[in-house]
Amino acid sequence: MTEPHPRHRIRLAMAALLAIGISGLPSAAVAELSEADFLSRVRRLTFEGRRAGEGYFSPDGKKLVFQSERHQGNPFYQIYLLDLETGETSLVSPGPGKTTCPFIRPGSGDVLFGSTHHDPRSEEYQRAELEARASGQERRYAWDYDPEMEIWVAAADGGGLTRLTDERGYDAEGSYSPDGEWIVFASTREAFQRELSEEEAKILEINPAYFGEIYIMRADGSEQRRLTDAPGYDGGPFFSADGSKIVWRRFDEEGLIADVWTMSSDGSNQRQITDFGSMSWAPYLHPSGEYIFFASNKHGFANFEVFIVDADGRKEPVRVTYTDGFDGLPVPSPDGRRLAWTSTRHGGEGGQLYFADWNHESALAALAAAADRSSAN
Amino acid sequence: MRQLLEFAAAPAILLILAVPAAADTAALERHVDRLAAEELEGRLTGTGGERAAAEYLAAELEQLGAKPLPGQSGYLIPFEFTAGTSDDGSTLALAWDSGGHEWTGVESIQALSFSDNGSVSGGVVFAGYGLVVPESQDFGYDSYATLDVEDKIVVVLRYFPEDLDQESRSKLARYSGLRYKALQARERGARALVVVSGPRSPNAGEIIPMAFDTAVAGSGIVAASISGAVAERLFEQVPDKTLEQAQAALDDGNPHVTGFEIAGVELTLDVKVERETRTGFNVAGILAGNDAQTADKPYVIVGAHYDHLGRGDSGNSLAKQEEAGGVHHGADDNASGAAAVLAAGVRLAGTEHRRHVVLAFWSGEELGLLGSSAFVNGAKSEPTLDPGRVAGYLNMDMVGRMRDNRLTVQAIGSSSAWPILIERSNVPVGFDLQTIDDPYLPTDSTAFNSAGVPTLNLFTGSHEDYHRPSDTADKINYEDLDRVARFSALIARRLADLEEAPDFVKVAPRTDQGGGRDTLRAFTGTIPDYTTEVEGLRLSGVIEGGPAAEGGLLEGDVITEFAGQKIANIYDYTYALDVVKVGEPVKVVFLRGDERHEIEIVPRARD
Ligand SMILES: [Zn+2]
Ligand SMILES: [Zn+2]
Repeated sequence: MTEPHPRHRIRLAMAALLAIGISGLPSAAVAELSEADFLSRVRRLTFEGRRAGEGYFSPDGKKLVFQSERHQGNPFYQIYLLDLETGETSLVSPGPGKTTCPFIRPGSGDVLFGSTHHDPRSEEYQRAELEARASGQERRYAWDYDPEMEIWVAAADGGGLTRLTDERGYDAEGSYSPDGEWIVFASTREAFQRELSEEEAKILEINPAYFGEIYIMRADGSEQRRLTDAPGYDGGPFFSADGSKIVWRRFDEEGLIADVWTMSSDGSNQRQITDFGSMSWAPYLHPSGEYIFFASNKHGFANFEVFIVDADGRKEPVRVTYTDGFDGLPVPSPDGRRLAWTSTRHGGEGGQLYFADWNHESALAALAAAADRSSAN
Repeated sequence: MRQLLEFAAAPAILLILAVPAAADTAALERHVDRLAAEELEGRLTGTGGERAAAEYLAAELEQLGAKPLPGQSGYLIPFEFTAGTSDDGSTLALAWDSGGHEWTGVESIQALSFSDNGSVSGGVVFAGYGLVVPESQDFGYDSYATLDVEDKIVVVLRYFPEDLDQESRSKLARYSGLRYKALQARERGARALVVVSGPRSPNAGEIIPMAFDTAVAGSGIVAASISGAVAERLFEQVPDKTLEQAQAALDDGNPHVTGFEIAGVELTLDVKVERETRTGFNVAGILAGNDAQTADKPYVIVGAHYDHLGRGDSGNSLAKQEEAGGVHHGADDNASGAAAVLAAGVRLAGTEHRRHVVLAFWSGEELGLLGSSAFVNGAKSEPTLDPGRVAGYLNMDMVGRMRDNRLTVQAIGSSSAWPILIERSNVPVGFDLQTIDDPYLPTDSTAFNSAGVPTLNLFTGSHEDYHRPSDTADKINYEDLDRVARFSALIARRLADLEEAPDFVKVAPRTDQGGGRDTLRAFTGTIPDYTTEVEGLRLSGVIEGGPAAEGGLLEGDVITEFAGQKIANIYDYTYALDVVKVGEPVKVVFLRGDERHEIEIVPRARD
């Protein structure tokens, strides 16, 4: 059993109840496929620290930025840059506080990430979490959508740290456009910007992510504007390789069902791509633009698997991973030939980054053979 | 690879990366071909084949630029060991009022291999199975509970009670090793231990073969095995029961059934064990660190054993009947590891490294980690090679049979420095790594672990040719062996450049004291896969024609239950094996893929 990572975190316990009732219908079109049809030379990339995940490639495919719980004295994620040729890793984020959701800026190589290091209570939180872990307690708040979370950017060596957002509310899950000029991100700022109804105030306490919406801004933090307007958690947006499209995932109001959506980069043409009726999240477009990777627990609550679906969602998604435990947060390399994702397939409690060669031709063939979605469950 | 020059931070690593792959594959092939050649006769420690292999490795060390270790005139470092034991004319005499009898000859009386030499006399106490389960086990079985054996000769039955339920068998089997029984008798002041294979046991009445024992000295007590005929003569002096009746009374495991003194009998035992001492050779060279400051910093060792089983006479051969006595080539075990150490050495010699790196080839591994243990102990007296000054030891044992890109890294729990080092070293090489914490391994890294040195062992997995003559050079996967060598060079290089030597984490050993090889008397023909930590025991193969194969088990099956015991890991399996009986069908539950199967297999006797 594991939890999804922050960029896509939702409330699993409730979702479980739902998933039990709905999932489990086998898809005839993919029955004879296996992991080896898509992935080869599967290997674990990270070993240090309790967990690691959310690996995103640099535009030249030679580096991977990720988050990992491996910083001395801080139990929370910090951001690291991994050189895929030498194996060197270096710390990018400042060290204190919680950080999440890194992304490398095309052109400059700068790294953006969500961080709370500016919160003076950071050290206090770190101590409390370390004590809780030492005493063997469950974490009371796994991911709390800390309203102090803001988007920051730094040079690859951590220098020149600059704050890009300054709104009360959780600002994170940012990623750059291919030209490096724009950032799409998720924010719960709405909850703090207007008078909430009594009911909304209650929701904010239990499920703050409910107020998550997709926003866009310039790379310097200017021209912030909102792209989505639907109740329920919208988050995890990424641009397509040509910059024309944004893919993200949208939860229903209760935070139980999630689906993959796409829209034009100005927020128009919003289109629902998946409809498993389970939790489908962490979408990322293949650089060819032909299909979208995502993860879903369609096959069992704790058994998240990676899927692909054609970019317009006309066909049934095709299952990619077949290994027990969590497989999610799939991200293709810029050349479309490798895949990085997060998995617990080694049997540990925390997810770690995994890496494999990706068979693009197999993927295209499997998608072509998939049934039309009209026949879907 | 010009673009790599941008990454000026790690120039030496780039040197390692830049070593062309093809040339090394050829060198690896040459090393394995040479070491696994028929002429080297399986490289048994103490033989000419071992010596020839040692000289080959020494020449290669010199070639790549390594120097002899400080205090050594050459690359070969000799150590003495006991190559075998034989009985040199032990005798046993019984005397009672009206007469007596004396026996000589190994069909009646033979030393146990770990016996002291000496002649002792005394009254006789029959101590049942001579079993003592430590109080910590909360079981309550002590053959000596009501007996005074001080200055007596103790006669005991081999093995453990025959009619136990499975749970009791699993408890008692662990403490039925002969060395353990001898220790218990010695601790209670007995003058000697005499063992008989009871009439109700397997191998009934037979003399116990002198097990291969490499201990240089005896175990502190005179110990011998006697034939059933001798034992019966002894029991003629027992008024109310025969040996068989005495055994039968014990065999349900009732802890209140006791042994007894055999009054009026004086037993004289004269045991002569001949221990043959031979010389084996470790081979080692040093690549000096490039930093002037590192001369007195803890150094790095990369090593592998190069010895093997000769023609398989020393007891741990798995040769099938028709191949028995043939040269055990040991291409994977462990010409592959030795070749990889040389290939890593070439890479390390061509790059800067701050600490010294020692390249080591151990002998005597197959006989019980003799060479590495001798090095660890001997090095304590050579200040520059004190094991306290070893930053880390990287071992390779069987690294030539990679399948599906899978490499097992064992002993990772021995230092908190390993995970990041492994992570960084593996990124450029890209193995599908399986990591295992446990540092107590049946290979040389264990000798270093006991000396408080952080260790790692690389392993590509067991296979059906393991410890058989068919472990030949043509079956080695050289391309991946080269990648393993490169990986080991990257680890060694990073280790050599660490500012602080890695910490040592003492992993708690498994508590399976007491049991010995000689308690393992049932043969199932399974080859456990030591590389996975799956729930259950995965088989990396089954011995052709063995009970497991006949029962229908296949490579890849995962045993989850054996003889009614849940199997979570290799240790559970070892214990479960202790309690099965020869000829008695055992239920085996296993997974093949996702499917659960249930079969019966019939274990056979192992001698
Ligand atoms: Zn070996
Ligand atoms: Zn061996």
